[in-house]
Amino acid sequence: MTSTDTRTPRRTTPEPQPPDLGVLGMLRWAWRQLTSMRTALFLLLLISVAAVPGSIFPQRNIDPGRVADYLTRHQSSGPWLDRLGFFDVFSSPWFSAIYLLLFISLIGCIVPRAKVHLKALRSRPPRAPARPERLEHHASLTTSAAPEQVLATAREVLASRRFRVHSHDAASVSAESGYLRETGNLVFHVALTGIIVGMAVGHLFGWRGDVIVPEGQKFASSISTYNTFSPGPWVNPARIPSFVLTVDKMQADFIQTPGKTFGQPRDFIAHTTVQARPGAAAVPEQISVNHPLSIDGADVFLLGNGYTPVITVRDAQGEVLYHDATPFLPQDQTYRSVGVVKVSALPAPKQLGLTGFFLPTAEPTFANGPASVFPDALDPELALSVWEGTLFPGGMPQSVYTLNTEAMKQVTKPDGSPVLVRLKPGQTYELPGDRGSVTFDSVKRFAGLSVRHDPGELIALVSAILTTAGLILALTLKRRRVFVRVRQADDPDGRAATVVSIGGLSKDSDAGLTAVIQAVHDRLAERTTAT
Amino acid sequence: MTPETLANLANNALYSSMVVFTLAMLAFVAHLSARAPRRAQARASARTDALVAAGVGAAADGGTRDARDVARDRAGEPAPGSAAYGPESLRSRQWGSIGLTLTYLATLLLVGSVVLRGVAVARPPWGNMFEFATAAVAAVGVAYSVLARRNRWEWLGVFIVTPILLVLGLAVTVLYTEAHELMPALKSYWLAIHVTVAFLAVSLFTLGAAVGAVYLLRRRREVRPSARPGVIESLPSAAALERTAYSLNMGGFILWTFTLIAGSIWAKQAWGAYWQWDPKEVWTFVIWAVYAAYMHSRATAGVDARKSMYIALAGYAAVIINFTAVNLVSTFVGMHNYSGM
Repeated sequence: MTSTDTRTPRRTTPEPQPPDLGVLGMLRWAWRQLTSMRTALFLLLLISVAAVPGSIFPQRNIDPGRVADYLTRHQSSGPWLDRLGFFDVFSSPWFSAIYLLLFISLIGCIVPRAKVHLKALRSRPPRAPARPERLEHHASLTTSAAPEQVLATAREVLASRRFRVHSHDAASVSAESGYLRETGNLVFHVALTGIIVGMAVGHLFGWRGDVIVPEGQKFASSISTYNTFSPGPWVNPARIPSFVLTVDKMQADFIQTPGKTFGQPRDFIAHTTVQARPGAAAVPEQISVNHPLSIDGADVFLLGNGYTPVITVRDAQGEVLYHDATPFLPQDQTYRSVGVVKVSALPAPKQLGLTGFFLPTAEPTFANGPASVFPDALDPELALSVWEGTLFPGGMPQSVYTLNTEAMKQVTKPDGSPVLVRLKPGQTYELPGDRGSVTFDSVKRFAGLSVRHDPGELIALVSAILTTAGLILALTLKRRRVFVRVRQADDPDGRAATVVSIGGLSKDSDAGLTAVIQAVHDRLAERTTAT
Repeated sequence: MTPETLANLANNALYSSMVVFTLAMLAFVAHLSARAPRRAQARASARTDALVAAGVGAAADGGTRDARDVARDRAGEPAPGSAAYGPESLRSRQWGSIGLTLTYLATLLLVGSVVLRGVAVARPPWGNMFEFATAAVAAVGVAYSVLARRNRWEWLGVFIVTPILLVLGLAVTVLYTEAHELMPALKSYWLAIHVTVAFLAVSLFTLGAAVGAVYLLRRRREVRPSARPGVIESLPSAAALERTAYSLNMGGFILWTFTLIAGSIWAKQAWGAYWQWDPKEVWTFVIWAVYAAYMHSRATAGVDARKSMYIALAGYAAVIINFTAVNLVSTFVGMHNYSGM
């Protein structure tokens, strides 16, 4: 194949013959293969392809609900995709294998290159060739100045351009610059491993706790008070901060002007009062999107909000069985929310479960089922169906947001149609068959808070900044060598003259080197003729 | 002025810039065709012959040579074989210069439109797909305008201006969204930093991909020369094009690295974790890894420049996917849902 590029042609190394190598040789061969540039290139391409399914298939780490939904819709392919890790791509064995190999290859590349570079940093520029004018970039001139003077000027010019200068003999100067290029390259690669270390530290020592706090309620941080708490494997439970946070008001503003953006959120702000530890002074704090609250080594983020209708269930005698601000989770942009009331104060086969929707601005007809037309609580309504039976069959733990109707029957009216409890705030619904009543007292907002601690993120951040710095050095600087050699000669008139030849070498295509050579040439011409 | 007036002004500036870009595109086409030495000459002489035939008919008693010269003068055509064609010809230089000037004007109008939109909505004007698209092509226009004159990139003009026009056409028809307020997650100064740098990176990647594609054409002609050299032969050498594409992609890669880091810092503030493999993050990473592979392949002995360029173009394909499918297709539902579609 003809190649018009000025690049190094394909290097043809003879394939090593495995039988001659022995075990150690085989290992060395495998190591060399793994740490070669070609392998790194292949792995980089492979990891970019391997990441793509992580954006196409729903991922458990982002939204387990969508994964479950996908599995129910794809009965045949779903389980296979699941087995192959397509719903946990970034923790799957194959993805992990690629990035581990990539990082082994990276380290295998860094170590020898660092050694070579350290040696280069201590060494002097190499001896000038006999005829520098034969190099790719070159210039020459004849001058009346003495050789020593020419070389002194050359040294000065090159040193001022931050070349490292050395004379191996009396008739030449060798100069080299751009050591920072390889330094930057190494910093970049080392810093990449730093990012991985930061991520690993975050995974091992970091934790997150999510909690829903209704307006007016207090939350005292501890492992057991979070709705969900996910610690890394090496987290010390004693180090979980013990702050106390009260949500005084959850402010949510939505765009009310009609148009495409009608109902879109404008601002979410949780107005809170915070005590750094129980008994400490209470300080008012605002938490909003993009403005988390830092407290005691942890960050508190406002990641969600919604409604907690206050619901009271009474028995036929008017005795209160259930009274609570019950969180309903928003399902869409209009905050149509689902939630469950579990009346477990009653004996087992007669327990009541209410499940259904909270609609902040109810669409009154329910023509297409319960729907909300606006996310703000302008005309709130509850729409619940009622179930009777055993709430916790077999005593199994279950989510507070779903009702397990396995051992329950839907409560019906005397005519056999299912009961639908529709309530506006302040209204009460009498359940049929002396089962008591349900009251929708009022509605409050809740703040969905996420408390997180990630000790690795500073490592990752510093590494990331170093990565960029290293990258800029490695890609923009050029490794250059410039040689100047002088030779005594007589000019046509028989006077003593000095023939100067300047040559330059660069590792990569480097248009700037010509300018450097030219600058040396011009300075020599002007300086030495002036004297 | 009310925000509505400003938004209307912004739209008018956008339409005006599209008109000027169209003219610039035509000028660049004329420039390219004037660069191609032989074909243009062949066409010119054919036209002259036709005129000669007409001229002979009109002035039957006149000398043939005279009639030919008269016809040529009338048509304003240079004599075949004169210096009027080819990369350095007056004609190509003139058209190139006209194309560049029109591009400056169109870019100015487009930047003006983006700025007016920003003033109208009182925030950085990249809150939805329409705004992303216009701001991104404005960045491409600026990058090209800044680099073109110095590097003599008139020949690249048509490959830059045509995609700009396509994107603007899509923006005003399919993607258009009325000026509106930002969602809470976007209300951060990081929007200005992260997205601006992303646009700059994308604009360099775009120029790099355009030069890279031209390189592949040019190189094929160098390896297998055509019997009839044309426009492609008048372009800079394949080696020079390859170097240019590398420099552009390198700049893009550095800026993309910064985009990724700035995005992580912002993600930490807005969503509580700096990296959680949301689809946009996945594709940002994919783009980064593919361009990293390109940088690597170029430094690897034994990988030829053509293969490296294919990797870079694959990277650009990922940029396009990231900008379109990831924003618009519901498969990629994540937290970057700001398209306004």
